[in-house]
Amino acid sequence: MRLRQSATRKLRAWTARRFGVDTLPHQINRRRIYILPSRHGLALAALIIAMLIGALNYNSNLGLAFAFLMVGVALVAMHHCHRNLLGLVVDVDPEADGFEGSQVHLNFAFYNPSALDRFDIEIHCADLGTAARSIRAGSRAQLGVDVPAVRRGVLRLSQFELRTRYPFGWFRAWTYVQAPLLAYIYPRPMGDHRLPASAAAQGTATSAEQRGEEEFAGLRTYSPGIPLKHMAWKVLARGGEAAVRHYAGDVMEPEWLDWDALDGIAPEARLSQLCAWVVDAEAEQRRYGMRLPQLELRPARGAAHRSACLRALATYPAGPD
Amino acid sequence: MREARLSFERLSWICGCLALALAPDLGRLPVWILATAAAAMAIRLSLAALGRDSLPRTLRILLALCAVAALFLQFRTFNGITAGTALLALVAGLKLLETRTRRDVCVVALIVYFLCLAALLVGSSFWLLAYLIGVCWLTTATLLRVTVASASPEWRASLRYSGKVLLHAVPIALALWLFFPRFAEPLWRVAGDDQSAVSGLGDAMSPGDITELVLSDRIAFRVHFGGAPPPPEERYWRGPVLHEFDGRTWRRGEPDFGAAPALIPAGPEYRYDISLERQRYNWLYLLEWPMQWNLPRGLLTGDYMVVLPAAAGRAIDVSATSVTHAQSSGLLGDARRRRDTRLPQGSNPRTVALAHRLRADHPAALDFIAAVLSKFRTEEFFYTLTPPPLGADSADDFLFDTKRGFCGHYASAFAVLMRAAGIPARIVTGYFGGSYNPYADHWIVRQSDAHAWTEVWVEGRGWMRVDPTAAIAPTRIDRSVRDAQNAVGVFGIEAVGHLPWIADLRLRLDALRELWRARILQYDQDSQQTVLAHLMIPDPDARKLIIVLASALSLVLAWLTWQVRGELTARPADSLSRSYARLCAKLAARGLPRRPHEGAETYAARIAQSRPELGLVVRALCRQYNELRYGPGHSSGEAARFAAAVRAFTPRDSRGS
Repeated sequence: MRLRQSATRKLRAWTARRFGVDTLPHQINRRRIYILPSRHGLALAALIIAMLIGALNYNSNLGLAFAFLMVGVALVAMHHCHRNLLGLVVDVDPEADGFEGSQVHLNFAFYNPSALDRFDIEIHCADLGTAARSIRAGSRAQLGVDVPAVRRGVLRLSQFELRTRYPFGWFRAWTYVQAPLLAYIYPRPMGDHRLPASAAAQGTATSAEQRGEEEFAGLRTYSPGIPLKHMAWKVLARGGEAAVRHYAGDVMEPEWLDWDALDGIAPEARLSQLCAWVVDAEAEQRRYGMRLPQLELRPARGAAHRSACLRALATYPAGPD
Repeated sequence: MREARLSFERLSWICGCLALALAPDLGRLPVWILATAAAAMAIRLSLAALGRDSLPRTLRILLALCAVAALFLQFRTFNGITAGTALLALVAGLKLLETRTRRDVCVVALIVYFLCLAALLVGSSFWLLAYLIGVCWLTTATLLRVTVASASPEWRASLRYSGKVLLHAVPIALALWLFFPRFAEPLWRVAGDDQSAVSGLGDAMSPGDITELVLSDRIAFRVHFGGAPPPPEERYWRGPVLHEFDGRTWRRGEPDFGAAPALIPAGPEYRYDISLERQRYNWLYLLEWPMQWNLPRGLLTGDYMVVLPAAAGRAIDVSATSVTHAQSSGLLGDARRRRDTRLPQGSNPRTVALAHRLRADHPAALDFIAAVLSKFRTEEFFYTLTPPPLGADSADDFLFDTKRGFCGHYASAFAVLMRAAGIPARIVTGYFGGSYNPYADHWIVRQSDAHAWTEVWVEGRGWMRVDPTAAIAPTRIDRSVRDAQNAVGVFGIEAVGHLPWIADLRLRLDALRELWRARILQYDQDSQQTVLAHLMIPDPDARKLIIVLASALSLVLAWLTWQVRGELTARPADSLSRSYARLCAKLAARGLPRRPHEGAETYAARIAQSRPELGLVVRALCRQYNELRYGPGHSSGEAARFAAAVRAFTPRDSRGS
């Protein structure tokens, strides 16, 4: 078992050195598919050897023919196992996110451009495997791997593995794809500190209904985080660039989620608190900015902004503990 | 590993495969073993139907122990095919009882494969091989269905897939089978398997014995004569010679390895190849009298039998020469004379008295023999395969009371008369005659041709063959011979054997069977060398065989790789699509590729716009394609015309014109 682990490690390192980083989406090349008999395959090999010895011993040409047929079946199965990965196109979101204590969902996408169905494809990544998946000829499929998010920070994966045991489970073919994956693990959203009053009071948003009667004041270029209902669709439809309507009364003051406001708490707890604030603010559709030492994220809202803030928290250097 | 519970359907398939693999063992394995395996299947399936998994563990262990103990009591060994097959059958049954996961099914599948092989070690017919390959096919399909976790392939798709795997495996198997080195001798002998043979003559004969053989249609051997065959009345195939008589049964006694009296040929020599089926004993059947044979280990005994050191345990091919007329020279040693004139004290008193009486009338040995034969010929002796039973003094009963019998009775009574008169005599058993098969140019000798005759020592003449059965008047040959033979075939084609076309069919089948035997079953080192010689490889030897094997395998594997990869790229299924694809490819080569979303009409319109000189033709072709494709159906002729039009179409470069 240890021998096998160390051999696997060496093979992985060698593939990484030999083939460098793959561009995504990556089409699986026949030179990169490795194949070995599985435990059942070894049992089959032993069986075939026993068959050969029996047939030779009894001088039975028919027995030999049958044993050789089984050799042929095993060899064909080997080719089919290898082929099951060959030419498959795999893609993966290079970045994934998750909160500490939950899971990071790595999202893999497959495309099978060939005329044959592929069966029982598994992905193994960070010592985790997925359930087997079939991909019909000419179609696409999604496969996710849930990596447990153990500690805040960035989980860097340089490689993932595709595996198959199809057909009969006698062989195991696999390939390594070199793709740098970043899994941002956010702090655990935790803490019951209130937002500092100065920021919170002005930050309460005026509702859209109220704003609806306000005066239209012109167009501004779109920036991520502005609600879609403010989009000037007609402008976009005419072929202009994305613009948003701007209202004179839009005076909503952003709130600042400030590291310094949480003075006197341990750094990880501060990060957890900031994380909780970001989650809440986004859930309530407020505009918010975030200040960390040496980093300021300008107020905005929307999924991209939220993720930028949370990733900033995830990548915040760990304290000297 | 995630292991889903096996469905009833999959379980029943693997059970079915096991049952089919065990079917050829019906009648060979003890009934209780097959019954146990069947019961295990039934129990497992009913448990599955009830939604339960398996029997309690302690019960399973108990069952396993009982089964193995019973098996050992039955066979006293686990070695050998029968015991091994029985063990496998039990293990498979017990394994089924605890089968819960995919892995268990994989184990059962491996056992099924091995059972197929075990059946082939015993049987040797083409149909058996075909049947077992069928079982292998089913098992492989079952294995596929059970092992694929992410989808559940249809039965039909699984069967198609595993059928294709088997088909692709055939070239590999063929290359290996042709060139894999064969050994002249088995790696080791397995005790206790030779009993599973095979009828044939034994080393003892009671007058009634041969009946069973005569009723058997099994082939004893086939003969191919190099030149003209000997005349029918001289086709005596010499087998075991019997010397010792106890009043009822003739036995071979101690083998006589002394030098045989030299033979002086007195007739033409016949050269022939004889293929002997597997038999239990170590002697060969050769045409009387054997002169040469190409088995270095075949020894000639003092009574002109050719014996091997041990029974071959398989079919053997021999090339030999014989003469049908020969005189043995020299004198009969005292020991041999004593052995061949001995009669048990006080047995067959009436026969002994008769011999003495006749000998007094005919002092010359040849006269005496003629007198005895004429007695058989003139008195009311009948030839029948259903004679009345004989008592302890079989010769007395036969000669004076029943007067009905067949070759064994006549030969036995004749030999007793000779011995009683002081003339050395012995019984020779073997075969007589044979039937010609024109389709294979050989003679088939069946067990039903078994025969017994006698040899007497006449001073100055040596051993003479006397066949007393031949002395019976043809009119007194009981019609029930024919009837008895017909009776055999009630369930076979024998019963209508006299219909000419059936007889012809049988001969053709026999020719095929012989081809199968000679080319497939008997394929050995020599045959491999012949194949190499056919491949124009000079001085074939074992090393070259390995080289040929390696190159053949590389070729086959290269083909397989190409084949397997080729299936990845789709090929349009029908000729119409292929022709259309060819048209598009031709245009694409001129820089006018069809865009993926374009239909035929739009594509043609675009080409007409950018390249008016091509427009007319392309438009016509595309319209034709659309009509054929979406119209009310088209004949293959129309598709072929379209294909021809596409082939004829050559788009020219605009710059060229």
